Amino acid sequence: MVCCRKLSGEVFFIIWAAVTLCIILFGSGSAQDITVNNNLEFGPVFPGVPKSISKYSAGEAAEFFITGTPNAEITIDFTLPTYMYSSGSTMAIQYSTTDCAMDSSATPNQSSPGNDNLNPRQTLTYRLGSTGLTIWLGATVVPGLMQKPGNYSATITLTVAYTGN
Amino acid sequence: MKTRKVNHRMLSVALLTGMFLLSIFNFSFGQDVARGQAQATVLPLIVVTATQVLDFGEVFQGVPKTIARTNDDSAAIFTITGEHGAGINLQLILPEYINLADDSDRMPIVFRATDAAVDTNGATPSTVVAADGWVDQNPYILPAGATIGATNTRIYLGGKVNPSSNQKAGAYTNDIVLMVAYNNQ
Repeated sequence: MVCCRKLSGEVFFIIWAAVTLCIILFGSGSAQDITVNNNLEFGPVFPGVPKSISKYSAGEAAEFFITGTPNAEITIDFTLPTYMYSSGSTMAIQYSTTDCAMDSSATPNQSSPGNDNLNPRQTLTYRLGSTGLTIWLGATVVPGLMQKPGNYSATITLTVAYTGN
Repeated sequence: MKTRKVNHRMLSVALLTGMFLLSIFNFSFGQDVARGQAQATVLPLIVVTATQVLDFGEVFQGVPKTIARTNDDSAAIFTITGEHGAGINLQLILPEYINLADDSDRMPIVFRATDAAVDTNGATPSTVVAADGWVDQNPYILPAGATIGATNTRIYLGGKVNPSSNQKAGAYTNDIVLMVAYNNQ
């Protein structure tokens, strides 16, 4: 009988520990996730005529959506291509120091984002909102006068990490 | 029995500690990476061809001679190809004189405000009408709304030479330059 009570105490301790850990794991620090809502779409580009896509332009600007622990601070780093490629040909792509914007509100507003005119080449630090964080990116392509016709593309990489704050 | 009890508790504490550290690690240093695309389609290059020269033929001393933009055989014709429907800027750089090859004499050439036409519809100098594009245009200020036609766009240009009464005999030439660029319209 004594033996049974001791075993029950240990089992209770293990269950308590498991429950506590579940609270720690799922209550305080869920992993973040990034969704690419929209690629950066330049559409038709004329040789010799630079074309800019505004970060405010819905359906054309790149849009990323980050989810994770509400109010957690994160760092955001873009790895931005310098050129777009098409079967051996390259086309320059440029980013201004104000080509990025983000909004952590529950209803993100691309035309009037909460945090605007950010430099996408710098590490950005921000807090996730209650539902996440939306990031927009614009850019400019600079085709040459003799730019070879065709479909050009390049990869934009976004890395997000918690700071622990 | 006592040893077994201690092992269970130690195991539990170790488990608790490990998972706690794991959660902290996840909370503090977890990261995610996403890859989006930048995409663009570069349209065909503009190609400009001098299809036909502005040919005044034989000119008599002291007798001005005019070539109409509607002259199929002698009006200048430039042909432009590129992206159908794309807006283009057109600019002609016109000479004031045509010259002998050895530059020993020159002859004035003039262009009137109606000496050019822009054809986006595959007509000819003699058949082009307003519905085909723009007619009776000032060659120094070609229309801003020009586009590239389904097959091409052609510029027709006439002009007039004014030889002097003592104009030196010989073949006179000079360049007429047409510059074309997409205007993103």
